[in-house]
Amino acid sequence: MDIFKRIPGPVCNKKPSDGGRRSASIIACSGWRSGWLLGSLAALSFILPPGRKTTVWMIGDSTMCLYDSTRFPLTGWGMPFAEYFDSTVVIKNEAKGGRSTRTFIAENRWQQVVEQLSQGDYVIIQFGHNDEAKNYPDRYTPPDQYRSNLLKFVMDSRQKGALPVLVTPVSRRKFDREGNALETHAVYAGIVREVALQYRVPLVDLDQASLGLLRQYGPEYSKLLFNQLEPGTEPAYPSGVYDNTHFNTYGARHIAELVLSALDSLHLGIADHIARSKSKNL
Amino acid sequence: MDDGMKQMLVFTVLIGCLSWAPPRITVYLVGDSTMADKRVSEYPETGWGMPFHYFFDSSVIVDNRAMNGRSTRTFLEEGRWKAILSGLRAGDYVLIQFGHNDEVPTKKSYTPPDRFVANLEEFVAESRKMGAVPVLITPVARRRFDSTGHIEETHAVYTGLVKEVAARYHVPLVDLDHESQALLQFYGPQPSSYLFNHLSPGENPHYPQGRSDDTHFSELGARKIAEIVLQDIKNLHLGLADHIRVAKQQYKK
Repeated sequence: MDIFKRIPGPVCNKKPSDGGRRSASIIACSGWRSGWLLGSLAALSFILPPGRKTTVWMIGDSTMCLYDSTRFPLTGWGMPFAEYFDSTVVIKNEAKGGRSTRTFIAENRWQQVVEQLSQGDYVIIQFGHNDEAKNYPDRYTPPDQYRSNLLKFVMDSRQKGALPVLVTPVSRRKFDREGNALETHAVYAGIVREVALQYRVPLVDLDQASLGLLRQYGPEYSKLLFNQLEPGTEPAYPSGVYDNTHFNTYGARHIAELVLSALDSLHLGIADHIARSKSKNL
Repeated sequence: MDDGMKQMLVFTVLIGCLSWAPPRITVYLVGDSTMADKRVSEYPETGWGMPFHYFFDSSVIVDNRAMNGRSTRTFLEEGRWKAILSGLRAGDYVLIQFGHNDEVPTKKSYTPPDRFVANLEEFVAESRKMGAVPVLITPVARRRFDSTGHIEETHAVYTGLVKEVAARYHVPLVDLDHESQALLQFYGPQPSSYLFNHLSPGENPHYPQGRSDDTHFSELGARKIAEIVLQDIKNLHLGLADHIRVAKQQYKK
Protein backbone atom coordinates (compact mmCIF):
# COMPACT_ATOMS: atom_id res chain seq x y z
CA MET A 1 0.00 0.00 0.00
CA ASP A 2 3.00 2.31 0.45
CA ILE A 3 3.53 2.53 -3.25
CA PHE A 4 -0.09 3.42 -3.69
CA LYS A 5 0.16 6.30 -1.19
CA ARG A 6 3.20 7.77 -2.88
CA ILE A 7 1.36 8.15 -6.15
CA PRO A 8 0.60 11.87 -6.53
CA GLY A 9 -2.87 13.10 -7.29
CA PRO A 10 -4.04 13.50 -10.85
CA VAL A 11 -2.39 15.98 -13.14
CA CYS A 12 -4.90 17.11 -15.69
CA ASN A 13 -2.69 17.10 -18.70
CA LYS A 14 -4.92 18.25 -21.55
CA LYS A 15 -2.23 17.55 -24.10
CA PRO A 16 -0.84 14.13 -23.38
CA SER A 17 2.68 13.85 -24.69
CA ASP A 18 2.46 10.26 -25.80
CA GLY A 19 -0.11 7.64 -26.64
CA GLY A 20 0.84 5.43 -23.76
CA ARG A 21 -0.28 7.92 -21.13
CA ARG A 22 -3.16 9.31 -23.09
CA SER A 23 -5.80 6.96 -21.74
CA ALA A 24 -4.68 7.48 -18.16
CA SER A 25 -4.82 11.26 -18.52
CA ILE A 26 -8.24 11.24 -20.09
CA ILE A 27 -9.62 9.04 -17.34
CA ALA A 28 -7.92 11.16 -14.68
CA CYS A 29 -9.65 14.28 -15.98
CA SER A 30 -13.10 12.74 -16.18
CA GLY A 31 -14.00 13.23 -12.56
CA TRP A 32 -12.11 14.14 -9.43
CA ARG A 33 -12.59 11.20 -7.10
CA SER A 34 -12.94 8.32 -9.54
CA GLY A 35 -10.43 10.07 -11.77
CA TRP A 36 -7.80 10.11 -9.07
CA LEU A 37 -8.30 6.45 -8.33
CA LEU A 38 -8.37 5.32 -11.94
CA GLY A 39 -5.45 7.54 -12.82
CA SER A 40 -3.44 6.10 -9.97
CA LEU A 41 -4.29 2.56 -10.97
CA ALA A 42 -3.34 3.30 -14.55
CA ALA A 43 -0.05 4.79 -13.37
CA LEU A 44 0.56 1.76 -11.17
CA SER A 45 0.20 -0.51 -14.13
CA PHE A 46 3.27 1.15 -15.66
CA ILE A 47 5.32 0.89 -12.47
CA LEU A 48 4.52 -2.57 -11.17
CA PRO A 49 5.29 -5.76 -13.03
CA PRO A 50 2.14 -7.68 -13.88
CA GLY A 51 1.01 -9.78 -10.92
CA ARG A 52 2.38 -13.28 -10.95
CA LYS A 53 -0.17 -15.76 -12.11
CA THR A 54 -0.69 -19.21 -10.67
CA THR A 55 -0.72 -21.98 -13.22
CA VAL A 56 -2.89 -25.01 -12.64
CA TRP A 57 -1.70 -27.93 -14.74
CA MET A 58 -4.15 -30.68 -15.47
CA ILE A 59 -2.92 -34.11 -16.47
CA GLY A 60 -5.23 -36.97 -17.18
CA ASP A 61 -7.34 -38.75 -19.76
CA SER A 62 -10.35 -38.27 -22.05
CA THR A 63 -12.73 -37.54 -19.18
CA MET A 64 -10.72 -34.39 -18.36
CA CYS A 65 -9.29 -33.21 -21.68
CA LEU A 66 -10.23 -30.43 -24.09
CA TYR A 67 -12.35 -31.23 -27.13
CA ASP A 68 -12.71 -29.46 -30.43
CA SER A 69 -16.18 -27.96 -31.06
CA THR A 70 -16.65 -30.47 -33.91
CA ARG A 71 -17.10 -33.10 -31.19
CA PHE A 72 -19.81 -31.09 -29.38
CA PRO A 73 -21.50 -31.88 -27.02
CA LEU A 74 -18.63 -34.14 -25.89
CA THR A 75 -16.90 -32.27 -23.05
CA GLY A 76 -14.02 -33.03 -20.69
CA TRP A 77 -14.55 -31.80 -17.14
CA GLY A 78 -11.40 -29.69 -17.42
CA MET A 79 -13.23 -27.45 -19.89
CA PRO A 80 -15.90 -25.99 -17.58
CA PHE A 81 -13.45 -26.23 -14.65
CA ALA A 82 -11.36 -23.49 -16.28
CA GLU A 83 -14.33 -21.10 -16.26
CA TYR A 84 -14.46 -20.79 -12.49
CA PHE A 85 -11.23 -18.98 -11.59
CA ASP A 86 -10.32 -15.32 -11.39
CA SER A 87 -7.81 -13.71 -13.73
CA THR A 88 -4.80 -14.57 -11.54
CA VAL A 89 -5.13 -18.24 -12.46
CA VAL A 90 -4.06 -19.85 -15.72
CA ILE A 91 -5.36 -23.34 -16.45
CA LYS A 92 -3.20 -25.55 -18.67
CA ASN A 93 -5.15 -28.63 -19.54
CA GLU A 94 -2.62 -31.19 -20.80
CA ALA A 95 -4.96 -34.16 -20.42
CA LYS A 96 -5.17 -36.38 -23.49
CA GLY A 97 -7.70 -38.96 -24.57
CA GLY A 98 -6.69 -42.61 -24.27
CA ARG A 99 -3.71 -41.96 -22.02
CA SER A 100 -2.77 -43.96 -18.95
CA THR A 101 -0.11 -42.85 -16.46
CA ARG A 102 2.28 -45.12 -18.34
CA THR A 103 1.66 -43.78 -21.85
CA PHE A 104 1.45 -40.18 -20.62
CA ILE A 105 4.99 -40.58 -19.31
CA ALA A 106 6.25 -42.70 -22.22
CA GLU A 107 5.12 -40.09 -24.74
CA ASN A 108 7.15 -37.47 -22.90
CA ARG A 109 4.02 -35.51 -22.02
CA TRP A 110 4.84 -35.44 -18.32
CA GLN A 111 8.43 -34.37 -18.91
CA GLN A 112 7.20 -31.40 -20.94
CA VAL A 113 4.96 -30.33 -18.06
CA VAL A 114 7.78 -30.76 -15.52
CA GLU A 115 10.05 -28.52 -17.55
CA GLN A 116 7.48 -25.71 -17.38
CA LEU A 117 6.51 -26.12 -13.71
CA SER A 118 7.10 -23.14 -11.44
CA GLN A 119 7.10 -22.72 -7.70
CA GLY A 120 3.50 -22.40 -6.49
CA ASP A 121 1.91 -24.06 -9.49
CA TYR A 122 -0.69 -26.79 -9.02
CA VAL A 123 -0.77 -30.16 -10.74
CA ILE A 124 -4.15 -31.89 -10.82
CA ILE A 125 -3.72 -35.56 -11.61
CA GLN A 126 -6.55 -37.85 -12.72
CA PHE A 127 -5.80 -41.17 -14.39
CA GLY A 128 -7.20 -44.68 -14.13
CA HIS A 129 -9.69 -45.32 -16.94
CA ASN A 130 -6.98 -46.45 -19.34
CA ASP A 131 -4.52 -47.77 -16.76
CA GLU A 132 -7.05 -50.32 -15.57
CA ALA A 133 -8.15 -51.40 -19.06
CA LYS A 134 -6.65 -54.87 -19.44
CA ASN A 135 -8.37 -55.24 -22.79
CA TYR A 136 -6.27 -52.34 -24.16
CA PRO A 137 -2.69 -53.67 -23.74
CA ASP A 138 -1.29 -50.50 -25.31
CA ARG A 139 -2.79 -48.48 -22.43
CA TYR A 140 -2.88 -50.92 -19.54
CA THR A 141 -0.72 -50.21 -16.52
CA PRO A 142 -0.45 -52.87 -13.81
CA PRO A 143 -1.35 -51.68 -10.28
CA ASP A 144 2.26 -51.50 -9.05
CA GLN A 145 3.36 -49.44 -11.98
CA TYR A 146 0.27 -47.23 -11.68
CA ARG A 147 1.24 -46.54 -8.07
CA SER A 148 4.84 -45.73 -8.91
CA ASN A 149 3.76 -43.46 -11.79
CA LEU A 150 1.44 -41.50 -9.50
CA LEU A 151 4.29 -41.19 -7.04
CA LYS A 152 6.52 -39.90 -9.83
CA PHE A 153 3.97 -37.17 -10.66
CA VAL A 154 3.86 -36.23 -6.97
CA MET A 155 7.62 -36.21 -6.39
CA ASP A 156 8.54 -34.44 -9.63
CA SER A 157 5.93 -31.76 -8.89
CA ARG A 158 7.15 -31.23 -5.34
CA GLN A 159 10.75 -31.04 -6.48
CA LYS A 160 9.79 -28.06 -8.64
CA GLY A 161 7.91 -26.46 -5.74
CA ALA A 162 4.55 -27.22 -7.28
CA LEU A 163 1.59 -28.64 -5.38
CA PRO A 164 0.25 -31.96 -6.64
CA VAL A 165 -3.43 -32.84 -6.13
CA LEU A 166 -4.48 -36.44 -6.68
CA VAL A 167 -7.94 -37.13 -8.11
CA THR A 168 -9.51 -40.58 -8.13
CA PRO A 169 -10.93 -41.54 -11.55
CA VAL A 170 -14.38 -40.13 -12.22
CA SER A 171 -17.07 -42.81 -12.18
CA ARG A 172 -18.51 -44.50 -15.21
CA ARG A 173 -22.28 -44.84 -15.43
CA LYS A 174 -23.13 -48.35 -14.34
CA PHE A 175 -26.25 -49.40 -12.47
CA ASP A 176 -27.38 -52.86 -11.41
CA ARG A 177 -30.90 -54.15 -12.06
CA GLU A 178 -32.13 -52.77 -8.77
CA GLY A 179 -30.98 -49.31 -9.82
CA ASN A 180 -27.92 -49.11 -7.57
CA ALA A 181 -24.96 -47.16 -8.94
CA LEU A 182 -21.95 -49.48 -9.02
CA GLU A 183 -18.33 -48.71 -8.22
CA THR A 184 -16.43 -48.78 -11.52
CA HIS A 185 -12.83 -48.11 -10.46
CA ALA A 186 -12.54 -50.04 -7.19
CA VAL A 187 -8.90 -51.12 -7.45
CA TYR A 188 -7.37 -48.10 -9.15
CA ALA A 189 -9.29 -45.51 -7.12
CA GLY A 190 -8.06 -47.37 -4.03
CA ILE A 191 -4.47 -47.02 -5.20
CA VAL A 192 -4.86 -43.25 -5.66
CA ARG A 193 -6.25 -42.97 -2.11
CA GLU A 194 -3.35 -44.99 -0.73
CA VAL A 195 -0.71 -42.86 -2.43
CA ALA A 196 -2.47 -39.69 -1.27
CA LEU A 197 -2.60 -40.89 2.32
CA GLN A 198 0.93 -42.24 2.40
CA TYR A 199 2.54 -39.14 0.91
CA ARG A 200 0.10 -36.58 2.34
CA VAL A 201 -1.08 -35.43 -1.06
CA PRO A 202 -4.33 -33.44 -1.16
CA LEU A 203 -6.97 -35.85 -2.47
CA VAL A 204 -10.13 -35.20 -4.45
CA ASP A 205 -12.13 -38.41 -4.22
CA LEU A 206 -13.92 -37.82 -7.49
CA ASP A 207 -14.77 -41.51 -7.85
CA GLN A 208 -16.95 -41.31 -4.74
CA ALA A 209 -18.25 -37.81 -5.37
CA SER A 210 -19.33 -38.60 -8.93
CA LEU A 211 -20.87 -41.88 -7.76
CA GLY A 212 -22.97 -39.73 -5.42
CA LEU A 213 -24.00 -37.56 -8.36
CA LEU A 214 -25.04 -40.64 -10.35
CA ARG A 215 -27.12 -41.88 -7.40
CA GLN A 216 -28.77 -38.49 -7.15
CA TYR A 217 -29.77 -38.60 -10.84
CA GLY A 218 -30.64 -42.31 -10.80
CA PRO A 219 -30.39 -44.94 -13.54
CA GLU A 220 -32.49 -43.11 -16.14
CA TYR A 221 -31.72 -39.41 -15.68
CA SER A 222 -27.98 -39.95 -15.16
CA LYS A 223 -27.87 -40.49 -18.93
CA LEU A 224 -28.37 -36.73 -19.20
CA LEU A 225 -24.85 -36.22 -17.82
CA PHE A 226 -23.15 -38.37 -20.44
CA ASN A 227 -22.63 -38.09 -24.16
CA GLN A 228 -25.78 -39.96 -25.09
CA LEU A 229 -27.61 -38.80 -28.18
CA GLU A 230 -30.51 -40.01 -30.24
CA PRO A 231 -29.72 -40.62 -33.93
CA GLY A 232 -30.13 -37.47 -36.01
CA THR A 233 -30.16 -34.97 -33.16
CA GLU A 234 -26.55 -33.78 -33.32
CA PRO A 235 -24.65 -33.23 -36.58
CA ALA A 236 -21.48 -34.69 -35.09
CA TYR A 237 -23.21 -37.99 -34.28
CA PRO A 238 -25.68 -38.77 -37.09
CA SER A 239 -26.31 -42.32 -35.93
CA GLY A 240 -26.47 -41.34 -32.28
CA VAL A 241 -24.12 -42.27 -29.48
CA TYR A 242 -24.44 -44.22 -26.26
CA ASP A 243 -21.51 -43.39 -24.03
CA ASN A 244 -21.37 -44.17 -20.30
CA THR A 245 -17.85 -42.81 -19.77
CA HIS A 246 -17.62 -39.40 -21.42
CA PHE A 247 -19.64 -36.36 -20.45
CA ASN A 248 -21.68 -33.81 -22.31
CA THR A 249 -21.44 -30.11 -21.45
CA TYR A 250 -23.97 -30.51 -18.66
CA GLY A 251 -22.32 -33.53 -17.03
CA ALA A 252 -18.80 -32.10 -17.35
CA ARG A 253 -19.91 -28.97 -15.52
CA HIS A 254 -21.39 -31.03 -12.70
CA ILE A 255 -18.10 -32.94 -12.37
CA ALA A 256 -16.16 -29.66 -12.40
CA GLU A 257 -18.43 -28.39 -9.60
CA LEU A 258 -17.54 -31.45 -7.51
CA VAL A 259 -13.81 -30.85 -8.00
CA LEU A 260 -14.12 -27.12 -7.23
CA SER A 261 -16.06 -27.92 -4.10
CA ALA A 262 -13.39 -30.44 -3.02
CA LEU A 263 -10.57 -27.91 -3.58
CA ASP A 264 -12.51 -25.57 -1.34
CA SER A 265 -12.92 -28.21 1.38
CA LEU A 266 -9.20 -28.97 1.24
CA HIS A 267 -8.50 -25.28 2.00
CA LEU A 268 -5.97 -25.14 -0.82
CA GLY A 269 -4.70 -21.66 -1.65
CA ILE A 270 -6.06 -21.97 -5.15
CA ALA A 271 -9.59 -22.06 -3.70
CA ASP A 272 -9.19 -18.36 -2.85
CA HIS A 273 -9.09 -17.70 -6.57
CA ILE A 274 -12.31 -19.46 -7.44
CA ALA A 275 -14.48 -16.81 -9.11
CA ARG A 276 -17.39 -16.42 -6.75
CA SER A 277 -20.16 -14.04 -7.51
CA LYS A 278 -21.42 -11.96 -4.61
CA SER A 279 -24.54 -10.54 -6.15
CA LYS A 280 -26.54 -13.48 -7.43
CA ASN A 281 -29.82 -14.22 -5.69
CA LEU A 282 -32.03 -17.24 -5.59
CA MET B 1 -13.60 -18.53 -81.93
CA ASP B 2 -10.23 -17.01 -82.77
CA ASP B 3 -7.10 -17.47 -80.69
CA GLY B 4 -7.47 -14.12 -79.00
CA MET B 5 -10.93 -14.96 -77.81
CA LYS B 6 -9.78 -18.39 -76.64
CA GLN B 7 -6.97 -16.83 -74.67
CA MET B 8 -9.38 -14.33 -73.21
CA LEU B 9 -11.77 -17.12 -72.23
CA VAL B 10 -9.04 -19.21 -70.60
CA PHE B 11 -7.80 -16.14 -68.78
CA THR B 12 -11.29 -15.30 -67.52
CA VAL B 13 -11.88 -18.86 -66.32
CA LEU B 14 -8.49 -18.90 -64.60
CA ILE B 15 -9.16 -15.65 -62.78
CA GLY B 16 -12.59 -16.93 -61.88
CA CYS B 17 -11.09 -20.06 -60.36
CA LEU B 18 -8.47 -18.14 -58.44
CA SER B 19 -10.92 -15.71 -56.93
CA TRP B 20 -13.65 -18.27 -56.26
CA ALA B 21 -14.39 -18.93 -52.61
CA PRO B 22 -17.45 -20.64 -51.21
CA PRO B 23 -20.04 -17.97 -50.46
CA ARG B 24 -20.32 -17.28 -46.77
CA ILE B 25 -23.73 -17.31 -45.18
CA THR B 26 -24.29 -15.41 -41.99
CA VAL B 27 -27.08 -16.55 -39.70
CA TYR B 28 -28.06 -13.67 -37.45
CA LEU B 29 -29.75 -14.58 -34.20
CA VAL B 30 -32.03 -11.77 -33.09
CA GLY B 31 -33.76 -12.12 -29.74
CA ASP B 32 -33.61 -12.06 -25.97
CA SER B 33 -31.79 -13.73 -23.06
CA THR B 34 -33.16 -17.19 -23.81
CA MET B 35 -31.14 -17.07 -27.05
CA ALA B 36 -28.18 -14.86 -26.11
CA ASP B 37 -24.50 -15.72 -25.63
CA LYS B 38 -23.63 -15.39 -21.94
CA ARG B 39 -20.67 -13.92 -20.10
CA VAL B 40 -18.52 -16.57 -18.41
CA SER B 41 -19.58 -15.15 -15.02
CA GLU B 42 -23.18 -16.06 -15.89
CA TYR B 43 -22.35 -19.71 -16.67
CA PRO B 44 -23.89 -22.26 -16.47
CA GLU B 45 -26.82 -20.17 -17.68
CA THR B 46 -26.82 -20.83 -21.41
CA GLY B 47 -28.72 -19.25 -24.28
CA TRP B 48 -29.82 -21.63 -27.01
CA GLY B 49 -27.87 -19.60 -29.53
CA MET B 50 -24.64 -20.83 -27.90
CA PRO B 51 -24.87 -24.52 -28.88
CA PHE B 52 -26.45 -23.41 -32.17
CA HIS B 53 -22.97 -22.17 -33.20
CA TYR B 54 -21.70 -25.75 -33.45
CA PHE B 55 -24.19 -27.11 -35.97
CA PHE B 56 -22.96 -25.78 -39.30
CA ASP B 57 -20.10 -26.30 -41.70
CA SER B 58 -17.44 -23.67 -42.31
CA SER B 59 -19.52 -21.86 -44.95
CA VAL B 60 -21.87 -20.60 -42.22
CA ILE B 61 -21.17 -18.03 -39.55
CA VAL B 62 -23.63 -17.84 -36.68
CA ASP B 63 -23.67 -14.26 -35.44
CA ASN B 64 -25.62 -14.21 -32.19
CA ARG B 65 -26.88 -10.65 -31.65
CA ALA B 66 -29.52 -11.64 -29.09
CA MET B 67 -29.27 -9.66 -25.85
CA ASN B 68 -30.50 -10.21 -22.30
CA GLY B 69 -33.60 -8.20 -21.46
CA ARG B 70 -34.45 -7.00 -24.96
CA SER B 71 -37.90 -6.77 -26.50
CA THR B 72 -38.54 -6.07 -30.20
CA ARG B 73 -38.96 -2.42 -29.23
CA THR B 74 -35.77 -1.95 -27.21
CA PHE B 75 -33.78 -3.99 -29.71
CA LEU B 76 -34.86 -1.54 -32.41
CA GLU B 77 -34.52 1.58 -30.24
CA GLU B 78 -30.96 0.74 -29.26
CA GLY B 79 -29.95 0.55 -32.91
CA ARG B 80 -29.21 -3.17 -32.71
CA TRP B 81 -31.37 -4.00 -35.69
CA LYS B 82 -29.90 -1.17 -37.74
CA ALA B 83 -26.42 -2.52 -37.00
CA ILE B 84 -27.43 -5.92 -38.39
CA LEU B 85 -29.05 -4.38 -41.48
CA SER B 86 -25.88 -2.53 -42.38
CA GLY B 87 -24.07 -5.84 -42.81
CA LEU B 88 -26.92 -8.00 -44.06
CA ARG B 89 -26.33 -9.62 -47.46
CA ALA B 90 -28.42 -11.60 -49.89
CA GLY B 91 -28.57 -15.24 -48.83
CA ASP B 92 -28.10 -14.51 -45.13
CA TYR B 93 -30.62 -15.75 -42.58
CA VAL B 94 -32.25 -13.85 -39.74
CA LEU B 95 -33.70 -15.97 -36.94
CA ILE B 96 -36.04 -13.84 -34.86
CA GLN B 97 -37.27 -14.83 -31.38
CA PHE B 98 -38.82 -12.26 -29.09
CA GLY B 99 -41.73 -12.16 -26.68
CA HIS B 100 -40.45 -12.74 -23.12
CA ASN B 101 -39.75 -9.05 -22.58
CA ASP B 102 -42.37 -7.67 -24.94
CA GLU B 103 -45.33 -9.33 -23.20
CA VAL B 104 -44.81 -8.18 -19.60
CA PRO B 105 -46.65 -4.87 -19.02
CA THR B 106 -44.64 -4.19 -15.84
CA LYS B 107 -41.31 -4.37 -17.66
CA LYS B 108 -39.68 -1.29 -19.15
CA SER B 109 -39.25 -3.28 -22.32
CA TYR B 110 -43.00 -3.84 -22.67
CA THR B 111 -44.28 -3.70 -26.22
CA PRO B 112 -48.06 -3.64 -26.78
CA PRO B 113 -49.40 -6.33 -29.16
CA ASP B 114 -49.95 -4.08 -32.19
CA ARG B 115 -46.47 -2.62 -31.80
CA PHE B 116 -45.00 -6.13 -31.43
CA VAL B 117 -46.65 -7.10 -34.72
CA ALA B 118 -45.37 -3.96 -36.44
CA ASN B 119 -41.84 -4.61 -35.18
CA LEU B 120 -41.87 -8.21 -36.40
CA GLU B 121 -43.13 -6.96 -39.77
CA GLU B 122 -40.26 -4.50 -39.86
CA PHE B 123 -37.69 -7.28 -39.22
CA VAL B 124 -39.26 -9.40 -41.96
CA ALA B 125 -39.69 -6.68 -44.59
CA GLU B 126 -36.23 -5.20 -44.11
CA SER B 127 -34.54 -8.63 -44.14
CA ARG B 128 -36.29 -9.44 -47.40
CA LYS B 129 -35.39 -6.09 -48.91
CA MET B 130 -31.74 -7.05 -48.42
CA GLY B 131 -32.31 -10.48 -49.97
CA ALA B 132 -31.97 -12.24 -46.63
CA VAL B 133 -34.32 -14.96 -45.37
CA PRO B 134 -36.19 -14.15 -42.16
CA VAL B 135 -37.36 -17.01 -39.94
CA LEU B 136 -39.87 -16.27 -37.19
CA ILE B 137 -39.65 -18.21 -33.94
CA THR B 138 -42.34 -18.22 -31.27
CA PRO B 139 -41.00 -17.50 -27.75
CA VAL B 140 -39.53 -20.57 -26.04
CA ALA B 141 -41.67 -21.88 -23.16
CA ARG B 142 -41.12 -21.14 -19.51
CA ARG B 143 -41.16 -24.05 -17.05
CA ARG B 144 -44.61 -23.85 -15.50
CA PHE B 145 -46.79 -26.87 -14.77
CA ASP B 146 -50.29 -26.95 -13.36
CA SER B 147 -51.18 -28.97 -10.27
CA THR B 148 -51.95 -32.04 -12.39
CA GLY B 149 -48.49 -32.00 -13.99
CA HIS B 150 -49.48 -30.48 -17.31
CA ILE B 151 -47.32 -27.84 -18.91
CA GLU B 152 -48.95 -24.42 -19.09
CA GLU B 153 -48.91 -22.02 -22.00
CA THR B 154 -46.77 -19.06 -20.89
CA HIS B 155 -46.83 -16.90 -24.04
CA ALA B 156 -50.39 -17.37 -25.37
CA VAL B 157 -50.94 -13.91 -26.82
CA TYR B 158 -47.48 -13.14 -28.16
CA THR B 159 -46.93 -16.60 -29.64
CA GLY B 160 -50.23 -16.12 -31.50
CA LEU B 161 -48.98 -12.80 -32.86
CA VAL B 162 -45.76 -14.36 -34.19
CA LYS B 163 -47.79 -17.06 -35.93
CA GLU B 164 -50.13 -14.48 -37.48
CA VAL B 165 -47.26 -12.47 -38.93
CA ALA B 166 -45.64 -15.65 -40.25
CA ALA B 167 -48.87 -16.79 -41.92
CA ARG B 168 -49.71 -13.40 -43.38
CA TYR B 169 -46.29 -12.84 -44.95
CA HIS B 170 -45.41 -16.49 -45.66
CA VAL B 171 -42.43 -16.38 -43.34
CA PRO B 172 -40.89 -19.74 -42.35
CA LEU B 173 -42.03 -20.41 -38.78
CA VAL B 174 -40.46 -22.35 -35.94
CA ASP B 175 -43.19 -22.86 -33.34
CA LEU B 176 -40.69 -23.12 -30.54
CA ASP B 177 -43.26 -22.29 -27.86
CA HIS B 178 -45.28 -25.35 -28.80
CA GLU B 179 -42.30 -27.64 -29.34
CA SER B 180 -40.49 -26.64 -26.16
CA GLN B 181 -43.70 -27.21 -24.19
CA ALA B 182 -43.72 -30.74 -25.59
CA LEU B 183 -40.09 -31.15 -24.51
CA LEU B 184 -40.89 -29.99 -20.97
CA GLN B 185 -43.94 -32.24 -20.81
CA PHE B 186 -41.82 -35.18 -21.95
CA TYR B 187 -39.38 -34.55 -19.08
CA GLY B 188 -42.17 -33.89 -16.60
CA PRO B 189 -42.60 -31.37 -13.77
CA GLN B 190 -39.53 -32.32 -11.70
CA PRO B 191 -36.90 -33.56 -14.20
CA SER B 192 -37.58 -30.61 -16.52
CA SER B 193 -35.65 -28.53 -13.98
CA TYR B 194 -32.47 -30.15 -15.38
CA LEU B 195 -33.10 -28.18 -18.56
CA PHE B 196 -33.07 -24.87 -16.68
CA ASN B 197 -30.52 -23.00 -14.61
CA HIS B 198 -31.33 -24.70 -11.34
CA LEU B 199 -28.46 -24.80 -8.85
CA SER B 200 -28.49 -25.71 -5.20
CA PRO B 201 -26.81 -23.34 -2.72
CA GLY B 202 -23.04 -23.89 -2.72
CA GLU B 203 -23.13 -26.00 -5.85
CA ASN B 204 -21.75 -23.47 -8.29
CA PRO B 205 -19.30 -20.63 -7.50
CA HIS B 206 -21.06 -18.23 -9.85
CA TYR B 207 -24.30 -18.62 -7.87
CA PRO B 208 -23.27 -19.16 -4.24
CA GLN B 209 -26.86 -18.83 -2.98
CA GLY B 210 -28.14 -21.19 -5.64
CA ARG B 211 -30.61 -20.47 -8.40
CA SER B 212 -34.11 -21.59 -9.43
CA ASP B 213 -34.60 -20.06 -12.83
CA ASP B 214 -37.53 -21.39 -14.87
CA THR B 215 -36.89 -19.15 -17.87
CA HIS B 216 -33.17 -19.49 -18.62
CA PHE B 217 -31.51 -22.73 -19.60
CA SER B 218 -28.71 -24.95 -18.43
CA GLU B 219 -26.25 -26.30 -21.00
CA LEU B 220 -28.56 -29.28 -21.38
CA GLY B 221 -31.73 -27.29 -21.99
CA ALA B 222 -30.04 -24.87 -24.37
CA ARG B 223 -28.76 -27.76 -26.45
CA LYS B 224 -32.15 -29.48 -26.54
CA ILE B 225 -33.80 -26.23 -27.69
CA ALA B 226 -31.12 -25.60 -30.31
CA GLU B 227 -31.65 -29.14 -31.59
CA ILE B 228 -35.38 -28.44 -32.00
CA VAL B 229 -34.67 -25.30 -34.04
CA LEU B 230 -32.14 -27.22 -36.15
CA GLN B 231 -34.66 -29.98 -36.82
CA ASP B 232 -37.25 -27.41 -37.91
CA ILE B 233 -34.75 -25.81 -40.29
CA LYS B 234 -34.45 -29.25 -41.89
CA ASN B 235 -38.22 -29.78 -41.92
CA LEU B 236 -38.82 -26.36 -43.49
CA HIS B 237 -36.39 -27.31 -46.30
CA LEU B 238 -34.54 -24.05 -45.91
CA GLY B 239 -31.35 -23.82 -47.97
CA LEU B 240 -29.49 -23.42 -44.69
CA ALA B 241 -30.18 -27.10 -43.97
CA ASP B 242 -27.69 -28.00 -46.74
CA HIS B 243 -24.95 -26.47 -44.59
CA ILE B 244 -25.52 -28.52 -41.46
CA ARG B 245 -22.22 -30.07 -40.56
CA VAL B 246 -21.62 -33.62 -41.71
CA ALA B 247 -19.53 -35.72 -39.34
CA LYS B 248 -16.26 -36.87 -40.91
CA GLN B 249 -16.13 -39.93 -38.74
CA GLN B 250 -18.50 -41.74 -36.48
CA TYR B 251 -17.68 -41.54 -32.81
CA LYS B 252 -19.06 -44.81 -31.64
CA LYS B 253 -18.49 -46.21 -28.25
